[in-house]
Amino acid sequence: MSHYRVPGKGRVDLSRPVSFTFEGRAYTGGRGDTVASALLAHGVHLMGRSFKYHRPRGAVAAGSEEPNALIGTRRGPGRFEPNTRATVQEIYEGLQTNAQNKYPSLKFDIGAVNDAAYMLFSAGFYYKTFMWPRSFWDKVYEPFIRAAAGLGVSPTEEDPDLYASRNLHVDVLVVGAGPSGIAAAKAACAEGLSVVLVDENAEIGGTLLSEPQAVIDGAPAWDWIATELAALKAAGVKVMTRTTAIAYYHQNMIGLCEKLTDHLAQLPDDTPRERLWRVRAGQVVLAQGALEKPLVFHGNDRPGVMLAGAAQTYLNRYGVLVGKRPVVITSHDSAWFAAFDLADAGAKVQAIVDLREGVPETLLAQARARGIPVKLSHTATATKGRLRVKSLRVNPVSGGSVEAGEEISCDAVLMSGGWTPSLHLFSHTKGKLAWDEDRTTFLPDETPEDCVIAGASRGLWGIEAALNDGAEKGRAAAAALGKAGAANVYGVAQDRTGTGISMKELPTDLSAGKAKAFVDFQNDVTAKDLRLAVREGMRSIEHVKRYTTNGMATDQGKMSNINGLNIASDALGRKQPQVGLTTFRPPYTPTTFGAFAGYHRGHHFEVTRKTQIDAWAQEHGAAFEPVAQWRRAWYFPQSGESMDDAVRRECAATRASVGIFDASTLGKIEVVGPDAVEFMNRMYTNPWTKLGVGRCRYGLLCGDDGFIRDDGVIGRMGQDKFHVTTTTGGAARVLNMMEDYLQTEWPDLNVWLTSTTEEWSTIALNGPMAAKLLQPLTDVTLTEEAFPHMSCVECTVAGMPARLFRVSFTGEIGFEVNVPAPMGRKLWETLWEAGQPYGITPYGTETMHVLRAEKGYIIVGQDTDGTVTPYDAGMGWAVGKSKPDFVGKRGLARPDLVAEGRKQLVGLLTEDGSKLEEGAQIVFDAAQPVPMTMVGHVTSSYDVGTTGHPIALALVAGGHGRMGQTVYIPMPDRTIAAKITSTVFADPENSRLKIPADQGVAA
Amino acid sequence: MNALTSQSDFLAETAAVRIAMAAPRSRFSLRLRENLAPFEAALGLSLGGPLGSRASAGERETLRLGPDEWMLHTSLADAGAVEAALSALYATQPHSLVNVSAREVSFVIDGPRAAELLTLGCPRDIAKIAPGSGRRTVFDGVTVILWRDAPDAFRIDCWNSFAPHILDLLKTGARELAAEAP
Repeated sequence: MSHYRVPGKGRVDLSRPVSFTFEGRAYTGGRGDTVASALLAHGVHLMGRSFKYHRPRGAVAAGSEEPNALIGTRRGPGRFEPNTRATVQEIYEGLQTNAQNKYPSLKFDIGAVNDAAYMLFSAGFYYKTFMWPRSFWDKVYEPFIRAAAGLGVSPTEEDPDLYASRNLHVDVLVVGAGPSGIAAAKAACAEGLSVVLVDENAEIGGTLLSEPQAVIDGAPAWDWIATELAALKAAGVKVMTRTTAIAYYHQNMIGLCEKLTDHLAQLPDDTPRERLWRVRAGQVVLAQGALEKPLVFHGNDRPGVMLAGAAQTYLNRYGVLVGKRPVVITSHDSAWFAAFDLADAGAKVQAIVDLREGVPETLLAQARARGIPVKLSHTATATKGRLRVKSLRVNPVSGGSVEAGEEISCDAVLMSGGWTPSLHLFSHTKGKLAWDEDRTTFLPDETPEDCVIAGASRGLWGIEAALNDGAEKGRAAAAALGKAGAANVYGVAQDRTGTGISMKELPTDLSAGKAKAFVDFQNDVTAKDLRLAVREGMRSIEHVKRYTTNGMATDQGKMSNINGLNIASDALGRKQPQVGLTTFRPPYTPTTFGAFAGYHRGHHFEVTRKTQIDAWAQEHGAAFEPVAQWRRAWYFPQSGESMDDAVRRECAATRASVGIFDASTLGKIEVVGPDAVEFMNRMYTNPWTKLGVGRCRYGLLCGDDGFIRDDGVIGRMGQDKFHVTTTTGGAARVLNMMEDYLQTEWPDLNVWLTSTTEEWSTIALNGPMAAKLLQPLTDVTLTEEAFPHMSCVECTVAGMPARLFRVSFTGEIGFEVNVPAPMGRKLWETLWEAGQPYGITPYGTETMHVLRAEKGYIIVGQDTDGTVTPYDAGMGWAVGKSKPDFVGKRGLARPDLVAEGRKQLVGLLTEDGSKLEEGAQIVFDAAQPVPMTMVGHVTSSYDVGTTGHPIALALVAGGHGRMGQTVYIPMPDRTIAAKITSTVFADPENSRLKIPADQGVAA
Repeated sequence: MNALTSQSDFLAETAAVRIAMAAPRSRFSLRLRENLAPFEAALGLSLGGPLGSRASAGERETLRLGPDEWMLHTSLADAGAVEAALSALYATQPHSLVNVSAREVSFVIDGPRAAELLTLGCPRDIAKIAPGSGRRTVFDGVTVILWRDAPDAFRIDCWNSFAPHILDLLKTGARELAAEAP
């Protein structure tokens, strides 16, 4: 039995002992303990070191708002998590935990010299210290700041856990399962409404878990919880514990993070560690309760100083006395009850010190009955003790002046500065807040979402008030959904209602300038820092926050925001609403990356689309590259070949005989309807009316700004039917653009679009032997006369139904064979076999890029960048100037698009025969002073092709009028001179496109 | 209706759900203007009703995906008859009938927790998709067509290249659901 465990108290099952380690030492707790409660049961308060000053710290709270007791947890390889709150982490057999921010040890931390030098680390320290000299930034300051930033150590191993996500639609979501939330869920679940009740704790009950004395409608609180839980489940309410509502997104979508295994000693198979729920709720009831505020005084952060409500929770919920000789310092009635509970459990309460002059007589009487000394109108001015508080210095305050102090010996200080309604999720909704002067706090006002806020989170106090408000709000939520709902009326005996006052930092007789009176425990921000920020000119709370970092730690200022605001507004001499409250942002509590990533990790990180021929490429050693969501064969290296070797071989083989290429990823759109040709005329720059059935044309697509968006070969398969191809990456975008025009601009056209990208496997054959190879496999006569370049036909190839196109993206005789997608691999293998006598060579995207560049064919997105017109690209021939309209026609007439000197696509040949770098900038005069006037850039550059010298394409200002001129490409080590040429480097007469008369053999 | 080629063809089978690849079908994307009657007569089934409505006659079944868009499934053998019937209408009733049989595959999902399995990747409220109806929606970020054949039986149509990604999550989910207490 640990020394501070109180027999008969709490909900921890000590008959099921659980062993775990902290800082390498073994401890035992019971089932239901958190790390914090189990350590406190052993009298261990020291749980970590603070962020900036490395001050010893212990748990100050008992829940998820804990700023101090952040630990690292580990359970075997990869399963390490930093910055876990010890007050939330349940213990399980074998759990290993460690303190953070300590070196060499938790008890002796060398970083604590920062504490002695605290005068240096004031507000704005970083801004002031790291300003100059400038040259120190990269080498000294930034590394220092990076090393100092952040608490804990990032995990270095891959996380082996599973993470999951689900969508959930529900009529009413209730956030928080304290008395308000339970009553709301009960009231809302009438008439078949689906209701979900979530709570971040391991069990429902909220404050009732810490207040077992309450009697609700005649039932003791804990019996009532059990009864209600059973009733809710019987009524079909989905009750989710260990589930935090982390964020309230638009239109009543709420993110829930459910922790499934962090409390289990044995990890079950196939079970995710966490699951992110995306909940769409008809109505939301926010019943998040209230959080207790610390008091701000010198030494209020020493281990053993904690919130009075937390001490009450540790006693009543966990059966742990946080001290045997506690002293209470408070400005709110609630801490008196904590003192009474601890006294009744055997603690010798040294004193109840209250800042107020008067408190209710009933409290005084109860204190007297327990023999607890009471000191009213007293302030706390200091604590003593190194790793644990030993005494509290208190002083009477009379007429505004602080009189001589006395030290009260103690082993714990329980403080309460009153309670702050939890408005985090309400703030996520962009809900407006209203300042409540009486309670010195913000309360919820209006929200644009379908959301109500109940109980303590809207400032109500006491269990009965919370229950009845919850019931009413649950009924209101049901009513908003058109159902009656049923609001119970609850009566609570031994309810502990009370009031209090809100403080800035406590009055003191010691030097305020030397006080370490902490406002934000996690970021080590003191009252002095906040006042300094105001003195140095910060006026808005947003500026004060950023200058001091108050409220910017991972707890988002759950404890510090209102205290910080009170102090800043006092320093400014303005009311709190004029100073403002900082914005709460998701997530409510720190959430793992795993929860957000869900299933999208490893091989499932993102969709990888593969063609039907991909497996063949893999089997034949292809290297792959990603193109949009597709993975495409990049090149096919043979043993010992580099990429350049392979591409050079593939290029040469294709020009010499025949190459085979998987073009299945090209986007395809079937355009069908009586107005198909009219639609094509309006969509593409080219004219289509005269294109005959069975013929293809290269189509150019502009945006309405006149810039090139996409291109592809388009075949007219029938009078009313076009087979459109797009770029691989542009497929979805082009279809969307077309649908957009069709639905919004031309709804009168009788034409319909269907994506057929994946209907077809597309195999390209290119090379002088292409027709010879293909002829025996098809009944189409592949002669120059019967099936000339830019023909298309529906036919059979190798016995498969096919759409055969005679097109070329290489400058060689070329065919693209489309067969129903699942037949693609069979066709590929058939062509592969048939091509063996010709030394058929598979090639990938790189060879395709090189061969097309040699012919000056552009790649949209490489040689164009969204600012290139058809004329800039040298493709004015593709613009149907006599058409009445097409997308981009008016854009192309804009003055800047017809101006002289636009960047135009040209070829470049370097004088020294070196290969240019893609993206390199171009200048006309290499002798001009720096910074030079840049006139363009290299868009494509290759030296592995068949031209015998490197080639490049480039956009150059006025390039079309500068043929033969020399431009310069300055590089880090030298300047390269290059001559502007045509974009066509190979076979400018297109003689290689023709099928020689002796090749085509009639079928 | 979607007979599996054999019972051993389950891609995943747990206490929660079973997942199988549906046998190949003929699939057509049908687009047309408001006058439904001639098409209903030609196909022998109804095309009306709100989006998500389904109709079937013999081997043929349709799902209304949009005001002017239907997905039509039928047997491989019936494809020619469908094309012929609608081709005869084209001159007077312009429309688009595109064969997309090779574009897509279908997964068949059934079992006590089939509807829950879909919530892993589908943001729609599955409960609002009545048995005997369907929707075009997304699953794990991928466009799919969802057919609800019975309270605990679904089909997911998706394009070929997305199928492995979808199946991967379906399998993960089948294990995950089976591992948790119902």
